[in-house]
Order: sequence, then C-alpha cells, then structure tokens
Amino acid sequence: MAIVMISSLYQSGREELAQALARKTNWPVVSREDLVDQARVAGIKVGRLELSIIKSPGMHEKLAREKELYLAFLTNALCEKARQGDFIYHGRAGHLLLPGISHRLRVGLTAPQEVRIKRAAQMLHMTPEKAENYLLQLDEDVGRWIHTIHRVDKSDLNQFDVFFNLENIGLSNAAGIVCAMAELPDFQPTPASMKMLDDLHLSSQAKLRLALDERTQRADLQVQADSGVVTVTYPPHDEALGRDIPLVLADLSGCREIQCTMAETNILWVQERFEPKSDNFQQILQLAQRWGAAVELLRLVPPGELQFDPEDPGTVADSGFSRPECPVPYDGGVEDDGPATAEDDGGLRLTEEELVNRGRCGGRHTICGGTDKILEQVQGNGRYALVVIGDMFLSKGHSTRTRRTRELALSIRDRLKAPVITADELKARFLFGKRQAVTLVGFLALLVLMFGVVFTHQEAVKNFLSGPFHQHYKWVASVFMIFFIPLIAYLYGTVTGLALKIINID
Amino acid sequence: MHELLTMHFIDINLATALQVVLLGFIGGILSGFIGSGGAFFMTPGMMNLGVDGVIAVASNITHKFGKAMVGSRKHAAAGNVDKKLAAYVLVTAIIGIQIAVAINSYLFKGGGDSHGAAKGAGANLYISLVFATILSAVAVSMLRDILKSRGNGDGGGGPSMKIAEYLNRLHLPPVIHFPVADTKVSLWILMLVGIATGYLAGTIGVGGFIGVPAMIYVFGVPTAVATGTELFLALFMGAFGALSYAYQGFVDLRLTMLLYLGSLVGIHLGVYGVKVVNEKYIRVVTSLIILLCVFSRIVAIPVYLRQLSLLDFPADWDYYFNITSKFFLFASGIGGALVILLKVFHAYRQRRRVQKTMLVVQRPGLSQVEAVRASRN
Repeated sequence: MAIVMISSLYQSGREELAQALARKTNWPVVSREDLVDQARVAGIKVGRLELSIIKSPGMHEKLAREKELYLAFLTNALCEKARQGDFIYHGRAGHLLLPGISHRLRVGLTAPQEVRIKRAAQMLHMTPEKAENYLLQLDEDVGRWIHTIHRVDKSDLNQFDVFFNLENIGLSNAAGIVCAMAELPDFQPTPASMKMLDDLHLSSQAKLRLALDERTQRADLQVQADSGVVTVTYPPHDEALGRDIPLVLADLSGCREIQCTMAETNILWVQERFEPKSDNFQQILQLAQRWGAAVELLRLVPPGELQFDPEDPGTVADSGFSRPECPVPYDGGVEDDGPATAEDDGGLRLTEEELVNRGRCGGRHTICGGTDKILEQVQGNGRYALVVIGDMFLSKGHSTRTRRTRELALSIRDRLKAPVITADELKARFLFGKRQAVTLVGFLALLVLMFGVVFTHQEAVKNFLSGPFHQHYKWVASVFMIFFIPLIAYLYGTVTGLALKIINID
Repeated sequence: MHELLTMHFIDINLATALQVVLLGFIGGILSGFIGSGGAFFMTPGMMNLGVDGVIAVASNITHKFGKAMVGSRKHAAAGNVDKKLAAYVLVTAIIGIQIAVAINSYLFKGGGDSHGAAKGAGANLYISLVFATILSAVAVSMLRDILKSRGNGDGGGGPSMKIAEYLNRLHLPPVIHFPVADTKVSLWILMLVGIATGYLAGTIGVGGFIGVPAMIYVFGVPTAVATGTELFLALFMGAFGALSYAYQGFVDLRLTMLLYLGSLVGIHLGVYGVKVVNEKYIRVVTSLIILLCVFSRIVAIPVYLRQLSLLDFPADWDYYFNITSKFFLFASGIGGALVILLKVFHAYRQRRRVQKTMLVVQRPGLSQVEAVRASRN
C-alpha cells in the first residue's frame, strides 16, 4: 500500500507530478482542492479560517477550534483513502498530513520562479509583473498557513523524504523516482504504521463527530485514540459533557472503549517504560490532582543504537541509519480479552489503568524515534500545561542518560511552546518535599529577621533612606535598594509560593 | 531639606501596617488576575493613609520592581516572556516617557497663578482626561468583544484582532519576527506603539494597563505572552524608577516591605484565578474594574476645572467630589478583588471535588453505551 503526499507552492508542478505518477501506477489522485470542497459541503468554514490566518497570523487562540476541525476532516478523509489502498495526494502542505504514518512518502517540489510566473500569468490572465507580485503574496500567505496550522516553517526540508527541483530534473523522471521509492521496504506498511493509521483514523472520526454535534461542539475537548480506546478530556465547568460525549461517540466504528476525563488541562508524560508504583508516577499524579489535569502517557522507544555488523553488507550500507520501527504487533484494532498477554508494552496499560482508577487518565501512545516523532504525535492535541520527560535512554549510562534527556527536553520546549521539564526537576519545581520544607523555614526565619531589624529601627532606616546619612551617601542608599528589594521579593515570593503549594494552590 | 523629607515619612504603627498590607493584598490580586492594575489602587490608597504623593509613587515603583522580577521569572519559566519584543518596546517607550514627563512638567509649572488656580491643576486635569479617554476605550472595546463573541456563538472568545489585522495589511517593512510571541510586527508600528505606550505610561502612571492591551490588540500577541512580556518590561522600568527615586530620597522601604507582605500572596491568588476562571469572565471583570476607575477619575475632573476657573461652583463641593472619586476607586479595587477571590475559591473547591475518569465500553450491535466504571476521589 503506497501513500504519496506531494507538496509544493502554487504553479510549481505538484498536480502534474501527481498525474504523471498516476499514469505510471494507476493509483488514484486526491487533491487538497477536492477535500476542501468536501469540507465546505460538510459545513466547515475553511474560507473563514484561511482569511483569518492570512490577515492576522497571531490570533491562534481564536482559531484553535476551527483549525482542529479542518485538520480532523482532512485526516479522516485521507485515512479512509489509505484504508482503501494506494493513493497520491497533492496540496500545499501534504507532507505534513497523516502525521506519524511512517509508510507515507513525503515528496517536495519546487520550480524556477520564471516558470511559475509564466504559468500563473497564463492561468489568471495577468501581466507577468502582476503575476510575480501575486505569487510573492501567495507564497507568503501559504507560509503563514503552514506555520499556523502545522507549526512548522514551510522551507523546513527535514519534513520531506525527497525533494525535487524541476530546474534540474524533468517531471517524468521525478515521477519515475517517486514510483521506485514507493516500492522500497521503507515505505511499505508495517504493523506499527498500520496501527498508527487506525488510531489516527479513529481519533479524527471522534473529533469530527464531537465538533459537529450540537451537544459538544462548543466545548474545548482533547481527543486521543489508541488501539480502539478513545480518550476525551473535557472542562469541569460543563459536567453534562461527561454524559453527552459517550452518546455522541456511540457506535463509532472501531471504538471499543471510551474514557472521559474531566480535566482543566493536560500533562504529557514522556517515558521509555512506565511503572504505576514508581516515584515518577506518584509525583505526576499528585501534580495532576492538584491542577485538575489529565495525564497523557507517551511511551517513546528510542531509535536503535548504531549497531552494524561489518560482515553484513546490509547493515554496513545502512550504517545504523535505518528507519526506526516500534515493536508493536498489529492486531487490526482487535484486542485479546484474555488475562495477560506476552506483549511488552513498557507498562503502558497498567499505568493507564491506574490513572483511570485515580480519575486522571488522558490517553496513551507509543512511538519510536526522537523529537520530530513526539511533535508529530502531539502537536495536534492542543496545549499542554506541562510536559514531563521521565526516565529515558535506559540502555545508556547515567551521565549520557541525563545529558540526552535534557537535550530532548530542550528541543521539545523550543518547538512545542509548552513548559518542558525532566522528572528530576518535577519535585523541586512543583511539589512540596523535605527540601522545600527546609527552604520555607530558612527563608521565613531570614524574613522575620529582616522585618524585625527594619521595624525596630525605624528612625535609623529613615535616616539611611532620606536623612543626613542619605545626604552624604546618596548612591549607597540607591545601590542598597537595588539589591535589598529583589532579595526581599525573592525570599518572600518563595515563602508564599511554597506555603500556597501546601494547600494545593499554584 | 533632608530633615523635612524625613519628616514626610509617616510613622508606622500596627494599624497602619495592617492597612498597607491589605492595600498590597488587594493590589496583588488585581495585578495577578488582570496582568496589571496594582498601582492604580495602591498609590491613592497609601495617599489616603497620609503618605505624600511622591513617596507613595516612589515606594510603589520600588515595590513593582521586585514584584516584576518575581512575576517575570515565573512567566519566563512558563515560556511567556518575549525578551526581544520587550527590548524593542522598552527602547521606544523610554522616548515616550520623556515626552510625557516634558508635557507634565510644562503643565505643572504653568499652574498656580495669582488668580487662585492650584499648582498642578492643569497637569491633573490633563492626566485625568487622558486616563478617562484611553481606559474607557480599552474597557468598552473589551466589553464589545465579549458581547460580539456571544452574539456570533463564537465559543473561542479570543480577543478582537481588528487593529492587528489592519496593521498587518499595511505591510510596512522592515517587519520583525518575535519568535516567542509568534507574531510579526513592522518596526514602524512597533516604534509608534512603544512611544505611545511610554507616553501613556508616563502620563497616567499605569504602564501595564496600556502595555498589555496594546500587545494583545495591536501586535496580536497571545494574552499570556503579553502579560509575561509586560512584567519583564516592568522589571527594567521599575529598576530605573527605584534607582532614581531612591537617589532622591523618596523611597520609604518600610512601606515597600509591607506592600510585599500582602501583594505577593495576592498575586499568587490572582494568577491562580487566571488558570481556573473562564477567559471571558476575566475580561468582563477586568473591563468593569477599569470602567469604575475611569468613573472615579471623571468625578474628580470638575475640581480641576474649578481650580482652573473653567467651572464655577463653591470650593466646599471639592470635598464631595473627592470623596465620591475615592469611593469609586476603592469600590473598583475592593469589589474586583472580592469577586476574583470568590471565583477562585469556587474553582478551588470544584477542582478538589472533581477528579474522575468515566470508562464506557461500546457493545457491538447496541446503540446505547454502558458506563462500567466512574472513579472519583
């Protein structure tokens, strides 16, 4: 089963490449324009979304729901196509659709600007000058669209598997290369990628239903799906949603279980192996209960290490750069109801079960890879109040593990625009333990001393601040103030913060 | 001169100290909840306790410096501070502040003539008019947005982006990208807004009231980033103010310390409120507090007009105008803080009460679903 996603700017030959490939392979072609028309018929205001993004790209908060609906519609349509067999999609950001599906082939395309101008001038009956200006404006608008909808830069070549410049290669040859690439084992479906496709399809169906049903369409919901389990978190101020969500999702094909969690926000917990009795679990649960947050589990299996056998020509050729693949057996979405299976899911299900019991479950995923894979998986899931990077790179030594965990946290923080911390920072930053108790008592004692000195020596303080002493040493008072005031603010700010943590206000 | 200035520092006994702590607490709640607004309440509040205007302003600015440091540190940890945007606004705002100081000084020197006009009445009238005009526009615009979004059935409820949209359409290069705020703004518009913000902050003395809405409505910055960036900006402006006033001998450290006792607790509660209270509600409360403050200023305007001989009524009436003005100021501050506290308390209780995940199993062939487990702490 081949999924080819072709992306390019307007009049850069994406449609022609798709048609050339279709002639070679007989695979059906789907264009963004077709899907947008279908979305409009379904009542999604794509025009309004486009106009808003082009006019004011900063208004993310207002557009979030419309954006989610649009993406859910496209994802659902493409997943349905993928389940029917091979297909070719072309659009402005096709390479960013169906995130996480490893067997899709993402093709980028660019054409010389003069060719684009000529084609645009012919197509739109414009002078070349006008066509050039039109293209410049359009390219900028498309860049804004991609940035707002997918949160990546349109010129980020890391998002493609192959990129053609039509100045250097003909369309027919490019189509031949794509055709040959699609046959490679790297772009064939695997159990893991098929499971991912099923999950994506189920979550997009659930999102669509919830967004179009009048009982749930106004609510801020977060929807995940994994192995037939749909997890929805809904805000506490609308308790009726807990009853309505299962009704809206009733008889949803492929859904065998619905988990509805009332939560104000989500905490994403990324870890290699989960254990419900671990310290990390207890700490994250404590924080989730205090914040009224649901905990979303993401099991990250790091890509295989650089292990290649000099005797094996295959591994020498790959030199360890082979595509990482999760060891997930594909069961077509049907799970064994038996007691225990031999499958090692890294403690994911047990931990999820415990979270359900504690009322804080926000869904689960398993992915294999690094930062890009995490972002692909979670970027469409709304904002997280916190991302916790737990125990990772378990096969490495302590120092390497610490360094790589911090690097992972930093790269996610930069791109997800959410607070990201490692599990060992969790206690110091958000929870109250022995260390915090010592800090509280120590700082409080220091503050009592400072306040005591100032308020039992008021005349001396006045003299220092604006009396005869100040007259002779004006700068001393100013410099003292610049250091003393932040110190007081820091000490007292820490004391109040810790004291409020004790009563779960932070 | 210095002997006299020391005498202007009030004596602080337990009762006065508690009142200052309370002022700090209310100012802190407002500041934490609406992202700004502590100064408009605390400065006149201290003056009401007998503190000289300049000492109240100086002590409050010094307090703001430390408060902004703690606040911006927390916002920075949450990724809500755009330092690049703050740097651009700071540079241009300083120019605006200088313009405001020059106009105020000119008007202040121009008052107090031989015909009985009080010194500073012209400056007070000018400040009150600017305060009333600008803050009315901000409050009305916020309320209109809320009503509009309700009319459209637009549940998103984000702030109106009309000004940001219009300025984006103008496309005046060079355009600067601010990665944290995730927005692009023309340098010219940035300079214009920075100068205007500085001018208004220098004139009205409440920078956050202008800076935060300007970033949201004009630059299209997300609300959380606007608040964080404004606090970061306030850190530098506060440090500059504290250093200058301390050099002049106007800062009363005791007042600043007492303000902290209340404000830092209040800020935590206000910020907690922002997390747990609906954004629409936050904006309704903010706009109503601002409108009450505006009304308080408008009530004081006839006094300045009389002092400038532009209006004729008995001087005794000044007392009634002033007391009414103070009443509305305190009503806005205390009322606003109480409403916020009530909402925070309600949300806190609700959050502790509701901890549940409902598990529903789909039975093939049945249209109804069955809840098999609901957990609750």
